[in-house]
Order: sequence, then C-alpha cells, then structure tokens
Amino acid sequence: MSAVSPGSMVTGLMAGVGMALLFGVMDASAKLENLTFLEKPLTPEQIALGNDDYVEFCASCHGANLKGQKNWKRRLDTGRMPAPPHDASGHTWRHSDQELFAITKFGVGAVVPGYESDMPAFEDVLSDEEIIAVLGYIKSVWSDEEREFQHNLNLKDGRAR
Amino acid sequence: MKKNTIVAGPVSRRALLHGLVAGAGLCLLPATAFAAASKSTSSAIAFYGNALIVARGSALLYRSGSQNWTALPKVSEGTILTFTTHPERPGRIVGGLDTGGVVLSVDGGKSWDVRGQGLPKAAVTAITTAATNPDTIYAAIRGDGLWQSDDAGQSWVFVMDRPWLANAERDLTALSSVDLATGMGGIWLYAGTDTGVTRVPDCFCRWQDVQPGDAMDALASGKQATPKVPLPEGEPVSALVSAVSRPATLYAGLPSGIWQSQDAGVTWLKRSEVIATALAVHPLRADDLVIVNDDGVLQSPDGGRTWTAIANI
Repeated sequence: MSAVSPGSMVTGLMAGVGMALLFGVMDASAKLENLTFLEKPLTPEQIALGNDDYVEFCASCHGANLKGQKNWKRRLDTGRMPAPPHDASGHTWRHSDQELFAITKFGVGAVVPGYESDMPAFEDVLSDEEIIAVLGYIKSVWSDEEREFQHNLNLKDGRAR
Repeated sequence: MKKNTIVAGPVSRRALLHGLVAGAGLCLLPATAFAAASKSTSSAIAFYGNALIVARGSALLYRSGSQNWTALPKVSEGTILTFTTHPERPGRIVGGLDTGGVVLSVDGGKSWDVRGQGLPKAAVTAITTAATNPDTIYAAIRGDGLWQSDDAGQSWVFVMDRPWLANAERDLTALSSVDLATGMGGIWLYAGTDTGVTRVPDCFCRWQDVQPGDAMDALASGKQATPKVPLPEGEPVSALVSAVSRPATLYAGLPSGIWQSQDAGVTWLKRSEVIATALAVHPLRADDLVIVNDDGVLQSPDGGRTWTAIANI
C-alpha cells in the first residue's frame, strides 16, 4: 500500500460512504459486528499486526493494557500532558478514524496546530497499513457502545466533507 | 421613565456614575445594599429567566424583570465568585465559593444548599453548566484544574488539568459551555485566563487555541484556515460568555473593554471601552447583556454598543 495523504484519505472515505448510502448497505448494527477502519473491514491478520506494532511502538507510553500513563489527566512538569489511555476510560473513541490516522501519522499538531505533545509523528516509522492495523487493534478492545459512538463520528466526518 | 443611555465609544466610569445618579429613579437599591463592597471586590452576575442575580463581595442582590433590586441574605459559607444558570432549570442558581465548593439555590437566592462533595478546598474561580445537559456542571478550581459534576453539583470528578499558555499553567478566570459541535460527539468549553481565551472539547482531550472550524477541515481540503482576528494578545480575560440563544456569539471582558465575536471566537470586534469584571447574556436575547464593574451594574440592549446603568454598587 502506498502512502496515503490526509486529503486523498478523506476523499476516498467520502466516496465509500456515498456508495454505501446509495445502495442502502449502511446498516449500523451490521457494521458494529465487523470491525472497520475508514469503512473497510479489518481482518484478524491486521489486528494481530496491530497488536505487535502497538507493543513495540505504543505500549511504553500508552501502557500494555491500554491504560495510559499514571495520572494522565495531570500535566507533567514539562507542561505537556501524559499519554492517555486507549480504552473506555480515555478519549480515543471520541475521535474519528480520520483524526486518529492523522494524529498517529503526522502528530497531534496536525489536528491541533501548535499543540506540543510527547507523542511523535509516526510517518517515518510505520507504514499506512501498520498505522491502520494499530488503530484497528485499539478499536478491537472497545465495547460496542464506544465503537458505535465512534462509528457515528466517522459518518459525520464523511458527510461534512 | 428616562434611562441613562450611553452611546458607544470611550466612556469613563465617572460619566457612567453621574448618569446613574441622574437617573436614580431607575435604581431603587436598598441604600446599604453594597455599602461594604470595596473597589476591586470580586463580582458575579447571572440571568435566571428575566431575573438577575448579582454578587459583589459577600453582598447579594436580585431583580426580577423590571422590579426594584432586593438585597438577599449573605451566604455564610463564603463569598460567591461565579454563577451559573441554565434555561431548562429556570429556578436554579449555582454559585462557586472563594472557600471552595459550590452552593445551590432554588428560591432565587434566598437560601442556599452547600454542595461540592469531592471538590478540593480551593476557590472556585469559574463555573458553567453544560449547554446541552442542565445537570452537568463544570467548575474551575484555583491552582488545580477543571472538575465535572453530573448531578447538579452534588458529586465531582476531576476531568482536566489547567491550560498551559505562554509557558505556564493558567487558572481559569471564566468558563462558558458553548453549544457548538467539536466533531468529537460533544460541544466546547471556552475559558478565559490571565493571558487570553482557550477552549477544550467536552471529551477533555486537550486545551487548544480557537481556530476556524476544526483542524480536520484544513487537513482534508489542503487549504489554509481563514485568517482570524484574535483578542489582543496577552490581555487577561475577566469575563467570557456564550449567548445561549446564539452560541457562536461570545462576549469577553478585558482591560481594553468589551469584545464580541459572532463566529465562536475566530474574529473579535471591540464593542465598548467599558470595563467588566463579570458578564451575563440574556438566555433568549443574544444582544442583551449585563455587566458588573467597580461602578455598578450596566445593561446593553444592543450587543455592547450602548449601556444603561441599572444598579449602583
């Protein structure tokens, strides 16, 4: 898979959502049974790859159990915020697939200009497939409620553009 | 009755005071209502329906509609620094105390219940009610951070540290729930600090500067965001309010005057050089605002262009 720009990623998502709506296959409950990223189903192999990459590149800050750093709501002495959890206690599920992809690939500053974070951009570390796999793995631990909430954000993101 | 209308432009506090005295018939305050309040005393103001409640130091006043002002009993637990009300809870007023914790009144401020289980014992510098959920209240605690209650102030949980601006953590001087979508399934909380305005989504992922739309808009389109006209850099914000009836309309009180934004804080326009230490907007009329300053309570029917003194303090 070649590198994906944020613009083309969003354009592709729009097209996908539009087609799905057109043919009436966007059944929300059915979608929830199938773990997706940017509306594309994720395979067990992708989740396994995501798990491996998460352990290697993410767990040192976000925790092997996805619980984040201790006292993650309290600012560090540096002025930056600790790594948040990726499970239900955090806010990852409050961000659309597009945002999560952009934050992971380009850094938090890609969606919040000027924001300083200890989290690096992974565009030179992970391929787009690996980023999607990692985010798919994170999504795989969410409950149905969180996945449904986040899925609706994805649809709104697609419709807005 | 003739009112003391003040046309937009530089207005001295003295001129306002003289105008107020000339129209004393408008304000039938108890003579000693705020006599003990000194200049630079803390102040707070809120609409509840068409009524107003004002705190000035430890003194409290209310006015229902166009009736006269009435002094209320003092709150024994401390001094109210900040108020919040919500249109869906028309009889309820919540105040944040300088001694920590909050108080709640359901009788127009005549009596208060102490709430705030779990809050640190530090001043509540700013408080607001979630625009989309009247039982969710946010409180900013001096030296600590932002706390949330989902049961009208009874119990609280810590949700976010203070914002980091200009190389330091900043206490919040004002807080306003703004009913505009964040793109994250919720709405915004805007905050004033001693060095400007900031905002955080109500999922509390991160404090961030105000910008047009959301960052994904620019990212997706590949276009630069629309240039913005921010508030004067570095000025402390003493008051900040979103109009309930028109959420993108914001008012901010700065040392340089009253500023208005009609696009949720992307561009600001100075409306008056009147100084405000507290500010409130009518729940149904976005151009109807009231402020408190060292000279009293002033009201503007036109978004801050002209002012009428409605109470001497």
